[in-house]
Amino acid sequence: MVSKHRATTDFVEPDLPITPMLDMSFQLMAFFIFTFRPAPTEGQIAMSLPKQEGGESTSIPNPTDEKPEAFVVRIEAAANGTIAKMSLTKKDDVDARPIDLGADVKAFHKELQSRYTEVKGDKTKAKVTLEIQDNLLHEYVVQLLDHAKRAGFTNIAPVPLDKKR
Amino acid sequence: MSHGPSDKCEPNLIPLLDLVLQLVMFFMVCANFVMEQVNETIKLPSALAARPIEPNVTDIIFLNVNQEGTVLLSGLDVRGKNKDDNALRNPVQVQNYMKQRFEELKRKVGGDADKARKTSLIIRADKQAPFEKVYGVMSACQKAGFENCQLRAIIQ
Repeated sequence: MVSKHRATTDFVEPDLPITPMLDMSFQLMAFFIFTFRPAPTEGQIAMSLPKQEGGESTSIPNPTDEKPEAFVVRIEAAANGTIAKMSLTKKDDVDARPIDLGADVKAFHKELQSRYTEVKGDKTKAKVTLEIQDNLLHEYVVQLLDHAKRAGFTNIAPVPLDKKR
Repeated sequence: MSHGPSDKCEPNLIPLLDLVLQLVMFFMVCANFVMEQVNETIKLPSALAARPIEPNVTDIIFLNVNQEGTVLLSGLDVRGKNKDDNALRNPVQVQNYMKQRFEELKRKVGGDADKARKTSLIIRADKQAPFEKVYGVMSACQKAGFENCQLRAIIQ
């Protein structure tokens, strides 16, 4: 009987050249390593937006409701955009005299921290309004927001010092 | 002198290739991670209290504000307009643009204005920008209908 199968040939192992591929991979890797610049970790600071002029009317407050405590920090800027002077007052307190904090952000932090611990009632409703002079650099605005947040306040509203603008 | 059979000694390069390709893939993926809405020229201030975006927040609008207070739109945001016209130089332009975005968002969520209002608006303002300019942008966004505004900073 004649075999229908073809005569067996020696098995030839295919030769796949790995080295050029490895070279190319190394080149690609080198390119990515040199061009790799990890982005700094960014995050957000939440804040309250200013009230809209002529916006929706709010519900009529109940006179028995306790009004949340509010503090106003007035921030004046130097000509170069840095903090020149800060003063803190308690809102709706006619007898309160403004507390001078100078230009020291640490004093601002300490004062807000002590105020926060003294807040009566719902502490989450306590508000800090930052009245900021127009030319203060954004870097310092964020610094102040950061300190107010770390002092415990969650309701922080930056507004311009000259509200009539 | 006689030697035994001469076996060819070749190093096994395949695991090395696997490893290198994995590294290449890692760097490629990381390189693509750069967000298109983020402008690299903006130098952000740093803050300890800054928190990263929560994973469940999907609708986010980034606004890049440079030192002069100009809002720089990325290629994604310009959409069909002239590429050179990717800067909003005053609060009126910002308000008009944001109104347009607000309407688009409203349409996307089926006309629910409250949902659109809650969209996270992240302002990436340069640390050298004066407060007046950044406030102008925030105020314009609020007038356009947005409520949830946050300031971007580098986490210290």
